[in-house]
Order: sequence, then C-alpha cells, then structure tokens
Amino acid sequence: MLIARQTVQDKIQTTKASIGNTVTIQPAGFNSFSAANNSLTTSQLNVVSKLPHVTGLIETLTDRLTTIGTVSSPRNFIGQSNSTNTNQTSLKSPVKLSRRLNRGGNRLFVSGGSGFQLPPNFSLPIVIVGTNDPVQLNTANGNVATLVSGKFLNGNSDNNDAMVSQKMAQVNNLKLGSTFTAYSTQLTVVGIFASSSGGTNNVVVVSLPTEQRLSGQAGDVTLAVAKVDSIDNLSSTTAAIQKALGSSANVTSSTDAANLAIQPLNSVSKVALYSLIGAIVAASIIILMVMVMIVRERRKEIGVIKAIGSGNLRIAAQFMVEALTLTVSAAIIGIIIGAVASTPLTDMLVSNATTNQTSIGNRFGAGPVITRHFGGGVLGGLHRGISNIHAVVGFNLIGYGLAAAVVIALVGSALTAFIITKIRPSEVIRAE
Amino acid sequence: MLKVVNLKRQFKSGDTIVTAVDGVSMTVPDGQFVSIIGKSGSGKTSLLSLLGALDRPSSGKIIVDGQDITAINDVQLNDYRARTIGFVFQNYNLVPNLNAIENVMLPMEFIGLPKSDRLKRAKLLLEEVGLSDDQAKRKPGRLSGGQQQRVAIARALANKPKYILADEPTGNLDSETGRLIFRLLHDLSKKEKTTIITVTHDLEIAGKTDRSFKLVDGRITDK
Repeated sequence: MLIARQTVQDKIQTTKASIGNTVTIQPAGFNSFSAANNSLTTSQLNVVSKLPHVTGLIETLTDRLTTIGTVSSPRNFIGQSNSTNTNQTSLKSPVKLSRRLNRGGNRLFVSGGSGFQLPPNFSLPIVIVGTNDPVQLNTANGNVATLVSGKFLNGNSDNNDAMVSQKMAQVNNLKLGSTFTAYSTQLTVVGIFASSSGGTNNVVVVSLPTEQRLSGQAGDVTLAVAKVDSIDNLSSTTAAIQKALGSSANVTSSTDAANLAIQPLNSVSKVALYSLIGAIVAASIIILMVMVMIVRERRKEIGVIKAIGSGNLRIAAQFMVEALTLTVSAAIIGIIIGAVASTPLTDMLVSNATTNQTSIGNRFGAGPVITRHFGGGVLGGLHRGISNIHAVVGFNLIGYGLAAAVVIALVGSALTAFIITKIRPSEVIRAE
Repeated sequence: MLKVVNLKRQFKSGDTIVTAVDGVSMTVPDGQFVSIIGKSGSGKTSLLSLLGALDRPSSGKIIVDGQDITAINDVQLNDYRARTIGFVFQNYNLVPNLNAIENVMLPMEFIGLPKSDRLKRAKLLLEEVGLSDDQAKRKPGRLSGGQQQRVAIARALANKPKYILADEPTGNLDSETGRLIFRLLHDLSKKEKTTIITVTHDLEIAGKTDRSFKLVDGRITDK
C-alpha cells in the first residue's frame, strides 16, 4: 500500500508538473458530434494573443474525413447522412476497431447495455487537424509526436502540404512527396511523424489556413491553447482570456484540467493511505501481542536478569531491539514483495478509478474514443498518461517503509516494556 | 558487615496478612560462611530475597557496610545487586539461550566491563569452578545439574561481590554432587574472603558453616 500510494503521489506530482502553464480555449458548448458546432474565430483569438502574459497561441481546426466508399458512423447516428457528406478522403484509417465493436463488449460505445449495429463497410473517420503550429502538435492531446522524416509544414501558409502519422503512411503506402485526396483536393505529404502512443495514428495534419479553406470554415478555430509566461500568472491570465472571449468560449487552465484528471489518482492515493494506516495499526497490534507473549514466556528469564543486576531499561531496550529486528526484516521482505507486486496492484487501483470516471464522462457529450482521435481534449491525453503508471521503489520509499516498521515496533513494545517493569524477581524466582 | 535490624515482610493473601519474615535481627561479619536453616515455609527464601534486594521489606533495616539498602532507589538497588551481591539459586536459573561463558559474562555487562575483559574473566572463573572448555561453550540445556550450578557460582562471582547469597544451592543435586558444590563455595569464601549466606535444610551442610541461624515462622530462634 505504501508503494502504491507513493507511486500514485509521484504520478500526481509529475502529472501536475508536466501540464505546464497553458490555457485551453474551446468554443462554448463545443461538441465533437454536434452538427451545429460553434467555432471560435481567428479574429477573436487575435485579441487573446495580445493579452499580457500570453506568450504563444496554438490554434487548431479539427474535422473528420470519411474514407471514400465507407461510412464512418452507425446509421443515422447523430443525425449525419452520408449522402450529404463531402468530407471524404482517399486515405484508409490505420486504426482497426471492428473486432472490439462487434464483440459488443466495448464500454465506450455501449449505452444501457446494448451496442450499436455497425454497417459492414464501416471505417473509422480520419481526423484532419489544421494547426498554426505543427511543431507543438503534442500540446493539445498529451502526445509526444516526433518527426520521422520530411519537415514540419508551415502552419501559417495556405498550401496543400500535409503531415501524416507513420502508421497512416504505412497503411496507405505514402512516402514524402506522395499525394492523397481530401475534400476533393490533392494534398502532398511533406512530413511523417511518429507518436508515443496510438492517439495520433489516425491524424492528418495541415496548416490552419489550409484546413479553414478546405473545410469551408474560413476564420474558424475549434481549439486554441494559449501559453502563459509563468505558472504564477496562470489563473489571472485564464480569467483575462475568459473575459476577452465572453460566453462564447470555455476557457480552462491546465491546472484545472490536471486537477480533474488526477481526481481518480487522488482517490487511489486516499484508499492507499487508509489501507496503509489500517495495515500499520493491525501490524502494531499483532507485534504487541507477539511481544506480550514472548515476555510472558520469558518472565522467569527477565526476573533472573533483574536479580543479577540489570535495570528495567536495559531489558526493555533488549525487547525493543527484538521487536525492531522482527519488524524491520518484515519491512524489507515487504518492500521486496511490494516492488514486485505493486505495479499490477497500482495498475488495478488506477485503472478501476479512471475507468469509473471515464464512463461518467461518457454520458455527457464527447466520448473518449472521439476525444482521443480528435486530439481535442487535454483530458484525453492526461488520462492516457495517468493510466500509464509504474511503481518505482526509491530510497525515500524504503525510508518510509523502515520508518513505519520502527513505529510499529515502538508501539508494539510499549506495553511489553510496562510488563517488564512490573516483573518482580523475587516472585519469579520463587515460583518453580 | 551485614546487619539486619527488626526486619519484617508481610504479604496480603486474600483477606489475611501473612508475615513471612517477622522481626529478624542478625549480624554477619565479613568473610563468614553462614547458613540459615528452617522448614519449608519458615521464611528462609523471603529473608534471602530481602537481603539480596530482590524484594523490599515492610519494615526494618538492612545495613550493608554502613548503608541501609531499604532506603535506596531502584537504580541504586540494581547497582547493589550487580556489584555487591552474587546470587546462586536452587534451580540454577541460567539464561537458557546463552552458553555457559555468555551466562557468566552477563553480570559483567551490567557494570560496563569491556567485552574482552568479560570474556577473559568468564573463562578464568569457569576454569576455577572446574568446567572444561568444551562444557563452557554449551548451553545450560546440555549441562548436568552439577555443571549448571558450577556455572551459576561462576556467574555469582563474576563481579567480585562481597556477598554471595545462595538459596538451597545443593537442593536439586544428589548428595555427592551437593557436597562438591558446597566444598566449592566453602573454598571460595576462604580464598576470596567472600561472605556467604546460604539457605539450606540440609543439617549436614549447616553443621560445616561458621555460623547457623534457625528460622521458625519467620523468626530466628537459635544461633
């Protein structure tokens, strides 16, 4: 439990630290599935970029493309009709979900216990992201994307250049200079990137003006991330951005998002802490009883040692050392076992806690699958990061473990010491 | 010199009060071998416990070399037991998980003697009481009664006490071994000028001591 708690605490710290000082701006009421999406506009965001303490602004416009000859959603799902869908591409999605979906066991798509019927030609939509800063692709979704070949495209120039994921390039046989169609326009691959997790495999990246032109959403932005000069100015800048944009935007600072994301971790941490306290109390009681039994058994020996000149303190100290030896060796064994067993245990605790939260979040608007593949939410990335947790036994942990052992030994031998002082040598020696 | 003045020890047993030691007064000069005889229940062991500061009297004084040990605190009593008194018990009372040498070294630890000195003296003492090197490395469970009592005597002598209090030291031994142990104690008292007070019901042994006190119902009736 100590290891689990420590691991989770570490993760909370690193998660908080890794969030950095960013503010996420989304259109108010933005819903990935909604046909009547609100958007922010470039002109609105220009105001934001001029606010004090804002050092940078990443603007993205995200859309979904259906592979030609397939459908990308269950029939009549969210009111979308394939006949009017002009957002088509020649690319095939590298993400295969069909087996999981057909099994009907995928909770992400299950509502009230029944799955959706999927048409036979279903294919997951391809996510196209227009961004003014392709280098910072990872900022929005918690993914680390690195360039494998080619170059980063210029986020501010309107051309037909595109970057695709390595997986996407493999599946569609794309190389640098290859072309594909999207929105009935021919795009050229100028860069191929790899992502640290599967989250961006399904993504095509173009510049913001290109996506605005291709999708016919001139001046629109679906997500913006503002960078703030220091973490101290984060909350004031968040408020300033909200004020500048009014009710048309949802503004969340990275700390808000982090707090939300680490909520399940905090509860795991609490569970681990209470279990730890319970374990220490139980162990103290056990040690206490063991020590009392040992002292009772050795009553005569204690009496004899007192008779030949030893004080109470010396004898109590000897028993305390015995209790310490007992608990410290147990702690060392415990730490070794814990180091081996805690990663699965922590994983179990954390995945239970995060799954619960994900399924709650699912009832409102965007589901996690969409969130992930759109790269639209900071939360999506954080959840992934949080579930990816590993127990590491450090020196401080060993220190805490040994400290707990010492506490247990001291508590456990306190009563023992009292009994020792009450043993009268004359009685013990006489009783034979 | 050990002087006992009107010593009383009473115990509560239910509603009645039992007087184990009832106004004992006696004087033991230095270097004497003294025996206290009496039937079982006459208060011999109670008196010895009081002399050895294992118990505190209800009233009276025990003056050892001018100091009243009934009036000193627990820490000083520990020191008294460690340095001034050596105990030999009827049932040996060795620490079972320590070997003979370690048992003899134990009291020396209480007065803060360095380990090398303790080891040296323990070996010397065990040799003196007639234990072989092999036997000295055995734990009490692997020694005979007589051998255990020899170790107990060596332990009692460890801190060169002025007084040795022995409670039926030969009580658990056959008569021949008992005689050997008695002779050992007797020789030591002469050689080291140690005052020995032994409780016994063996009149043969009592007859060989310098002085003998008879205890009946907690009172000394005879000298």
